[in-house]
Amino acid sequence: MAEMEQIIILPYSKIVQIGWRGLRIRLVKTFLVTCCIALALAFLTYILCSGGMLAGIAERASAELRQSLAREGLLEKMLSPEQKSQTSWMLTIALMISFVGIVNAMLISVTERFREIGTMKCLGGLDSFIVKLYLIESLFQGIVGTILGIVVGTVLAYVEGMRMFGGEAWTLLPFAQFLKIILGTLFAGVVLTVLGALYPAWRAAKMEPVDAMRTEV
Amino acid sequence: MSKKKKKKQQQKKEQVKTDAEAPETADEAEVSAVDAQTEKELLATNIVRAKGVEKIFTMGDEQVRALKGVDFRVQRGEYVAIMGPSGSGKSTLFNMIGGLDKPNAGKVFIDEVDIAALSTFELAWLRCHKIGYIFQTFNLIPVATALDNVMLPMLFADVPQSEAQDKAVELLKKVGLGERVLHKPIQMSGGQQQRVAVARALANDPAIVLADEPTGNLDSVTGKQIIELLREINDTEGVTVISATHDYKMLSVSDRIAWLTDGIIEKYVARDELDIQEGHTDVRK
Repeated sequence: MAEMEQIIILPYSKIVQIGWRGLRIRLVKTFLVTCCIALALAFLTYILCSGGMLAGIAERASAELRQSLAREGLLEKMLSPEQKSQTSWMLTIALMISFVGIVNAMLISVTERFREIGTMKCLGGLDSFIVKLYLIESLFQGIVGTILGIVVGTVLAYVEGMRMFGGEAWTLLPFAQFLKIILGTLFAGVVLTVLGALYPAWRAAKMEPVDAMRTEV
Repeated sequence: MSKKKKKKQQQKKEQVKTDAEAPETADEAEVSAVDAQTEKELLATNIVRAKGVEKIFTMGDEQVRALKGVDFRVQRGEYVAIMGPSGSGKSTLFNMIGGLDKPNAGKVFIDEVDIAALSTFELAWLRCHKIGYIFQTFNLIPVATALDNVMLPMLFADVPQSEAQDKAVELLKKVGLGERVLHKPIQMSGGQQQRVAVARALANDPAIVLADEPTGNLDSVTGKQIIELLREINDTEGVTVISATHDYKMLSVSDRIAWLTDGIIEKYVARDELDIQEGHTDVRK
């Protein structure tokens, strides 16, 4: 009886190379998806940072700042329970937007490549190769998109903060808390991006090649 | 005429011989001896063998039996066309033979190895090294160049980059696309895309090329060129070509035609017999 050999498992370094090339040749698409991720997370970071600054007024604002805010009738409003509930409401929306926006963008961008996944399987691609390839591609997009989003969100939050509170914007939000916001957002952004891509990729990889190629989007 | 008849008879005899299974009533020892013998013979001649292949698709509450127990054999180096009207199960049979889908019943053997018994790694190796696929819709990676498309199967086979590149260029030249190596599918015509697909199918020197309606999306002139290209590969490289098609142009180049109707193979026709039996179809050449 004739012997069948086994396909070799490609090393991660090679898959990284392939993934990077894939992202580069799909430049416009990669850019759009990354922007989508960045936008959602910029909103989240902005809400978190400005929420943090507002919360800081009660504890850390100087007497002059309180006075000037009180003169404009803002202080009372900022310290009111309504403001608190509004902030948390905005935060919920920001989280939802991030979740739906990122997962949706990744789902679509992977699902429209189902035929490609099927073709790769026909040519000898292993299920694990496909999953790893999408893991790497989405990880890269997730990291770049999230960092971009965090930068944009932070800048916007501080520009707004400077307008409202002047130089004190820098002290209202303690650095430790700011770091926590950034790390939390980074984690959420990357995890959402990877999961949003990995789930459809894993599903396609598990399919028989014909089924993957037949899938219409 | 007499020569043709003679050949026909000879072929019938061969058919009977290969179809013969080990006798059930014989002693067990004898059976196993016969089995070993037939297995050897089968391996020498058959590269693809399907036995009682059934496939059922469930569409809502309805069950459609696309294949109703197909027995099918292809010998090494043959050029076989699976013909039949649309909906007859050609593509389904194609997918089963290629290990792209699993039958509900029956077995498919490639080089006398039951592909249902293969591990994931072996099946991937089979798809990568042993079989080259050509599809009606070309199925090229849309964003990649012709060169990258042809190099992809070699990447899975772990062929070194420079070697793969040289070979891909050589293959693209062979299919007449030497000037379009760096073009993307979108910049190419259907015929050119299918040529890239042919080059990709040949990347890892497969023993079998499976083509599912390779001319289905092409005009008749380009379709003919693809058919001739496949024939040439079959002649020069000895690659077995199995093509599911309803293109009558395919008839004139195939060694043998399997007529598939309603999920069963109705009959086999050798090319020599074709002129007599299906003479009218030749008008469409």
